[in-house]
Amino acid sequence: MHCTPIEHAISRRTLFGAAAATTLGMGGLGGLVRPSIAKRLQSDQKQVLFIWIDGGMSQLESWDPKPNTQFGGPFRSIQTSIPGIRISELMPKTAQIMHLLAVDRGVHTQDNSHSAGVGRVNRGDPKDRGVTYPYFGSAVANLLGPGESGLPPYVWVKPGSGGFQFKDAGFLGPQYGALAIGDGQAPDNLLLHKDISSKRDDLRNKLRVLADERFTKTRSSRSTEAQGFVFDTARTLMRRSDLFEPADPKDKERYGDTPFGRDMLLGKKMIEAGVTFVKVNSYGWDTHGDNFNGHASLMPRFDQAFATLVTDMHESGMLDHVLVIAMSEFGRTPRINGHVGRDHWPEAWSIAMTGRGIRRGTVIGKTNKLGTFVDSEEHDIGAFFHTWFHALGIDSTHDEYVNDGQPLPIAHDDMAPIKELLA
Amino acid sequence: MLRQTSVAIAYFCLCVVICASPPAQKQIDKLIKARSPGKLSDISSDAAFLRRIHLDLVGDIPTAQEALEFIESKSSSKRIEVINTLLDDPRYARNMAERFNIMLMERRATNEHWSEFLNAAFSENRPADALVRQILTPSASDTENVGANHFLTSRLQKIGQNPTDYPGLASDIGRMFLGVNLACAQCHDHLFVTDYKQADFQGMYAFVLHSYIRNDVTYPAIGERIMNKPLVFSSVFGGEQTTTGPRIYMGTQFEIEVFDKGNEFAVEANKETKEPAIPRFSPLRILSENLPRADNHQFARNFANRLWFLMLGRGIVHPLDLHHSENEASHPEVLDILESELITSGYDVKHVLRIIASSETYQRSSSLPKNTTSVSPTSFRSFPTKPLSAEQLKWSMLRATGMLPETLTRSETESDPEETKTVIPTDSVDMSAANQKFLEAYANPPKEAEIDFTPSVRAALFLLNDDLVVSWTLPASGNLAETLSEMDTKPLSKHLFLTILSRLPTDDETRTIENHLIEEPDKTTALSNLIWSLLASTEFATNH
Repeated sequence: MHCTPIEHAISRRTLFGAAAATTLGMGGLGGLVRPSIAKRLQSDQKQVLFIWIDGGMSQLESWDPKPNTQFGGPFRSIQTSIPGIRISELMPKTAQIMHLLAVDRGVHTQDNSHSAGVGRVNRGDPKDRGVTYPYFGSAVANLLGPGESGLPPYVWVKPGSGGFQFKDAGFLGPQYGALAIGDGQAPDNLLLHKDISSKRDDLRNKLRVLADERFTKTRSSRSTEAQGFVFDTARTLMRRSDLFEPADPKDKERYGDTPFGRDMLLGKKMIEAGVTFVKVNSYGWDTHGDNFNGHASLMPRFDQAFATLVTDMHESGMLDHVLVIAMSEFGRTPRINGHVGRDHWPEAWSIAMTGRGIRRGTVIGKTNKLGTFVDSEEHDIGAFFHTWFHALGIDSTHDEYVNDGQPLPIAHDDMAPIKELLA
Repeated sequence: MLRQTSVAIAYFCLCVVICASPPAQKQIDKLIKARSPGKLSDISSDAAFLRRIHLDLVGDIPTAQEALEFIESKSSSKRIEVINTLLDDPRYARNMAERFNIMLMERRATNEHWSEFLNAAFSENRPADALVRQILTPSASDTENVGANHFLTSRLQKIGQNPTDYPGLASDIGRMFLGVNLACAQCHDHLFVTDYKQADFQGMYAFVLHSYIRNDVTYPAIGERIMNKPLVFSSVFGGEQTTTGPRIYMGTQFEIEVFDKGNEFAVEANKETKEPAIPRFSPLRILSENLPRADNHQFARNFANRLWFLMLGRGIVHPLDLHHSENEASHPEVLDILESELITSGYDVKHVLRIIASSETYQRSSSLPKNTTSVSPTSFRSFPTKPLSAEQLKWSMLRATGMLPETLTRSETESDPEETKTVIPTDSVDMSAANQKFLEAYANPPKEAEIDFTPSVRAALFLLNDDLVVSWTLPASGNLAETLSEMDTKPLSKHLFLTILSRLPTDDETRTIENHLIEEPDKTTALSNLIWSLLASTEFATNH
């Protein structure tokens, strides 16, 4: 049975609404509700923390160094906690937790441009069917749903501007876009109006709900459910304004008091609050010039925040529930250009991951001696999407989206999960 | 003599039969009823009808006084009278300009010349074919219909390093003015819609490929370069190369007129004024002359379908840009009638809206028929629950809270017809700030059509916590909150509901107000809560 566009659009929202309405109740939840990590573990909610390293992190200055070779550059490699595996000396903290990670050094994708490449990689570069596929975050938000937190299912922590961003959602529609939190700032109008007490807010909301109950008595409930859902989500966000409060100074020190460090801390908070998919952005990696100084400056901040986050999640037990991914849109050229920089290189680069469903302490894929091309089995981004869906318990070979009656595979038709990365 | 008489009588009877054929709205109602799978909803209450027709025609709710007078009026022709009154209301032009802007521009950046163009067009009830012709005509150097080209120029704006989106423009012309979305037929025949061929897309594409945004003028204006050969294309799936000249979907190709070098321009470029050259062969001019024409059925069919959508919340063909043989119209004969009325009336928009508004189908309640739990939206047997646009919400919330001065009434302006065209005064609120905030809260992001009721979290946060609307619920200079503060419960309840929801309250609702006034002893606070809760209700947020 095909869903007509109108019915399909509203019934997705109804699905959202039903889940939120039953768990949140209506009004009377004054004060903070702070779910503990223990509660989160108990619920075994499937979640994703997606670290987007924007611009193209150099695999030669991170996961796959080639010191003392023609293109190796000035940095050395260091031993990690996996015997025989060495990574760049710029990532000492990550080296110590290598046994928690899985890295594929044999990544080969198709697009070397930011403008098209970012989109293709974030969408899993599926076969062109004339529709705009959703980004991974929107896809997971749609496939897994918002969970019980009542918070939006897809939150994007980034520097710069915030707000509700619909671009990522593609054909899934604006409700699967991201709530972007820019510079750690709360969304517009998040804080309760200064002249309205929490008690008064509950009262006016009760009146609103009563009005809607009367309105829907003789009508289909779709509209009031949709309206109810957005007010419930808004009020949940308002009650979780603590998520936007300044971080504990001790945590800030451990993660690094840098934009990325602070955003990783906020991202972890969002995960602990029960957001299904959290994307954290790091910018500045497009080092066409002065690549080595650039990475020397950027890598330590990444290293500190990333290693601290993975360690924290491992120690709390969250790592078994949350899929963690760290990647860029491509790697960087082995060839060093005239500006002492590296250019774009989708032909051979690395992706790192850990967490739910992922094998720990494994490095697969090999590039050749110079790091120019993949020597072993290559993997395109479609295979990673299969792998990640699989880790999340989603059957990527059978599950489909239905867009205006058109069934669409959720990952590239011709690819499959990478078994060696799965637990 | 007898024979002539009987022939005359025969003709007379025939004429009576033809002339007595039921009005279009009755025919429409009969056809809707005939296809209905079950009971129809009752006709809506007067209150519901009045609010609905106000929102649809003038983009604003009625005043409490207008609502009460209408509810209490015993006139059997009050509904048709209010339809006619509103079609002549100065707010009609503003509302139609806003609604067509949303439909045609899908929230791309606005332009004041474009707004003025639309306002003027609806003020004069400009025929639909003239409207579309002006939108598609590459602009002349004089200042007639300045702003009309914004539809075209906005699609040609360069975004970053992306190439100019000529395919997007070609698709959008098809979508908006022919009701066909050929975007997925650019590189091959459409994979799912057998009617849409690559040749169809390429034919439309040929009209726009040589156009560009003029930079010698400050208003939106299109220029054209020389086109002297057809487009060559082939499917990405392989196959022969074909060529096409400009061709309107379902039409025949236009021959490309080639002129000798040096003779290609009808008007040479003007080096002083920087006005560009105008080629003798102008594909866009051909498009503007041939697309909106009676012999191009798809133009009238699409336009009529969109007018139905504006009133009924769903096209007879739906989605609005997907007319094809496998996407059946829910009521093809109804669309035939509307299409015919549009053409025979000379593309009179008000005429078609009047027909739709006068129908029982439009006037049905949005409450479900007895013993029915759901109705299919394609049946039109209930009136749907339609969204309000950001603009309609703004005007309605201003009206509801009493923050908007009374509109010019018809009686005031009868003496001066020119006055009906002026902009409604709105000096009690910072309108540009209000416009900005309502658009941010309620408008879709660009290129997302606004079709269904899809409330958002950001809109909820806006209503909950932004000071703008909250401040309107507090007493000030003759507004609703102040008026209510001087009333006792029963009249208070009546006035509150008439003002905000345009209807009388039930006893239950009056009791709720009574209780709230007790549980919240501060009257200002209590009234603010009551006003707010109704503004935030689904009943207010929708057109039902």
